[in-house]
Amino acid sequence: MEILIISIIKSLALIVILLTGFAYLTYYERKLLARFHVRLGPNRAGPRGLLQPIADAVKAIFKEEIVPDHVDKPVYLLAPALALIPALVAFAVIPVAPAMTLFGRTIDFAVADINVALLYVVAITSVGTYGVILGGWSSNNNYSLLGALRTASQMISYELPLGILLAAIVLSTNIGREMGTLSLHEIVLQDRPWWLWLWLWLAFPVFFIGVLAESNRSPFDLPETENELIAGFQIEYGGIKFALFFMAEYIHMITGSALMATLFFGGWRGPFVVPGTWHGALIGFGWLFIKILALLFLFIWVRASVPRVRYDQLLHFCWKFLTPLSIAYLVITAVIVVFAG
Amino acid sequence: MTDDITTMEAPALPYADAVPGAVVGADEFGIIVNRDKLVEFALYLRNNEGFDYLSSLTAVDYLGFEGRTAEDRFEVVYHLFDTKKGGDGVVLKVRLPEDDPQLPSLIMVYPGADLQEREVYDFYGIRFNGHPRLRRIFLWEGFDGHPMRKDWKEAYYEAEHKPFKSRWPNGHYHWAEDRVPWGDNVKYPQGWDPNAFEPAPPPLPTIHDIPGEEIKTDRVIVNMGPQHPSTHGVFRMIVALDGETVVGLEPECGYLHRNHEKIGERNTWLGNIPFTDRLDYLSSMSNNFGYVLAVEQLMGEKGKPPERAEYLRVIMAELTRIANHMWSIGFLLNDLGAFFTPALYTIQEREMILDLFEEASGSRMMCNYMRFGGVRRDVDEDWLNRCRDLVHNRIPAKIDELDEYLTNNEILLARTKGVGYLSAEDAIALSVCGPMLRASGVPYDLRRSRPYSIYDRFEFDVVTDDGCDVYARYRVRMEEMRQSVRILKQALDDIPEGPVFKGKPGYVTRVAKGEAYGAVEGPKGELGFYVVSDGTDNPWRYHIRAPSYINLNALAPMCIGYKVADSVVILGAIDIVLGETDR
Repeated sequence: MEILIISIIKSLALIVILLTGFAYLTYYERKLLARFHVRLGPNRAGPRGLLQPIADAVKAIFKEEIVPDHVDKPVYLLAPALALIPALVAFAVIPVAPAMTLFGRTIDFAVADINVALLYVVAITSVGTYGVILGGWSSNNNYSLLGALRTASQMISYELPLGILLAAIVLSTNIGREMGTLSLHEIVLQDRPWWLWLWLWLAFPVFFIGVLAESNRSPFDLPETENELIAGFQIEYGGIKFALFFMAEYIHMITGSALMATLFFGGWRGPFVVPGTWHGALIGFGWLFIKILALLFLFIWVRASVPRVRYDQLLHFCWKFLTPLSIAYLVITAVIVVFAG
Repeated sequence: MTDDITTMEAPALPYADAVPGAVVGADEFGIIVNRDKLVEFALYLRNNEGFDYLSSLTAVDYLGFEGRTAEDRFEVVYHLFDTKKGGDGVVLKVRLPEDDPQLPSLIMVYPGADLQEREVYDFYGIRFNGHPRLRRIFLWEGFDGHPMRKDWKEAYYEAEHKPFKSRWPNGHYHWAEDRVPWGDNVKYPQGWDPNAFEPAPPPLPTIHDIPGEEIKTDRVIVNMGPQHPSTHGVFRMIVALDGETVVGLEPECGYLHRNHEKIGERNTWLGNIPFTDRLDYLSSMSNNFGYVLAVEQLMGEKGKPPERAEYLRVIMAELTRIANHMWSIGFLLNDLGAFFTPALYTIQEREMILDLFEEASGSRMMCNYMRFGGVRRDVDEDWLNRCRDLVHNRIPAKIDELDEYLTNNEILLARTKGVGYLSAEDAIALSVCGPMLRASGVPYDLRRSRPYSIYDRFEFDVVTDDGCDVYARYRVRMEEMRQSVRILKQALDDIPEGPVFKGKPGYVTRVAKGEAYGAVEGPKGELGFYVVSDGTDNPWRYHIRAPSYINLNALAPMCIGYKVADSVVILGAIDIVLGETDR
């Protein structure tokens, strides 16, 4: 019973934090894009435009709910939720701060510290694809159909290099331990030798590209390509339903950044973090926050800088370049583990 | 005596022996051709005389014109040019009777006649026999009559010409709408029921049917536009897709149509100058330039501008070209999916140029700067110095910066190289003009081949590129900006002191009876104005050869076989502005 209550409290807190994070991520992105564009960005609502996300949320919620006649209604209404929920749920396994002791009870800052966390993340994020595909399909619109088809092939393609790289990372957890682990908590706690850090960082660019593609971010935003498919799979969605898709994309970004921070940059670890204390938890959370912000900056930087590749070039890039590269990485990692582990 | 005249007149008819019976006469502006021999004669001109480029095709309605009867009421006018030798072209005229306005289509000789013949059919009801898609293009099927005919009156018709005295009958204005009995301006043809109207399906293949294969698959017809972020306005492309590959494309325009040419006939000569600003609203100075050149030809010596005005015109036109190419490159990158960053960087430079325009003319975009016989206002030394600073320092640096960031960008190369291939022969045949034509390797630039104003004094290169693809178009635009900077530097060094306007300003311009075709190399291509005057205060005919409209001829041939994402980029590389396309 007690564990249930704690889990509910943790989940609620996580959802609140993620949704606020999403709202302010849009602000962060708009401000940053404006800087890249030599503009000012939002600056009307509140001081420095800080209330802009709230204004946007209010607008989205109070918009008229329109369900077009030609859509497949149940699926059409289900799709935004299907896209959003996996994005939220995937965050559950990420340790956001070191465990601390409060009132004689140890609290670890992950909703669920399960031992197959990485597997769980891969599985859950794949489910999110369904929301996009079903949304595009049920809209009964040529543009959204094309967008949905693109999503399907893009997601399937890019999960491959991502999965292979994750396997390599899991393999590398064997080094210096008796057994490898799939738990993110233990991956954060693991002490890696310096050369292993370097070797992991080599994989980071490829992993980052994969995450870009997984979260439909520019230059891989082929499912929604404003310039040709207008908004792709979400073209028939408006108001809060559109906002849900929007949220899903941004929370994917946050989750992706948190995952990358955890795998490649040590998660909450950093100077001044004393595990087990309340201030250690706070500072640890701060470190993770800064790492996530830096990674999100990368997402936005890329969006402001590069044109979009074409659909067929995207798949070529994945199958002919990223996948062989990640397989090679996996093989070399295995060799390293055999000799060093 | 009669024999004498015939023997004297016979050699005056050009190309009289080429095709027997084709040339039936000539006036001082062109050759009058028998419509039955038109195709043969055009073939002869194309194959033997080198006139390979059909620049402008239009018609004039001479109902009630002095010296004309019902027998020769309509006149279809062709302007042909030689892209290799340059120089003045040849003007063909076909006169058509009122009761039988039809003639053979030239689409087999000059495929570029396609859209222009449809336009003439739409406006005049002249039939081009043999044209495969002779449908209305700007107006819809429920439109009553052919609006450019002189006997067609609009619903709120007030008077033939401006200024409309009816607007102030007793010293007070009143609404023209109140005087129309049916209360609105909609007129349908006889027996037309708007509720029963079903638009014809697009003439595109819908079933993928490969001979010999069992399985037939559906094609997806995607309707891109008129509300679409990448059509640069209200343009519509109906695209047939096989998977992601374009297998058919039908351009649809006319959503911004306001019959500019008819309004131009109602206006006074002077009143059309601000009106030309609204054609290609990104390069209003060039539009002014083309129009005043055409009318100044009719005015003769009186219309020749002073030296300083000529220099100012060239400076303005070249600044316009830079501003336009900046815009076009920025938005090409936007079409490629770069999220506005390149566009905003290029727009910054355009803003600097617009600041100069604002100071010189009083307006940033709708400049209304040029006049017959000069320009409206002089610029001071401070303006010239700021312009020099821009031309010598800021713009060249910015062009280099863009070049560095964009030209070798991997994604840009991957997206544009080999996309939208248009060979030189096709480009000429399809009457493609401007940077599009030069990117196919044809060194045809009006500033060089038919120098107007004072362009013969400047040193510059005609930029060409043999790539024939979108990347080549991008490169040509980039390089043309550098050439414009070169011209600007020379013009700003040489600009003399003196008056900028000849004669005294007035609202009424008297031009001689006659006709003229004035064309400038606008940023988008050959911008031609064909004007006919009957000697009054208003043009009898005011036709615009709109470069981005005629470049659309090449859209479908360029897109077919490429991916749907490419079609957007190809359209972006044409650089269309709908204000000009739809007129």
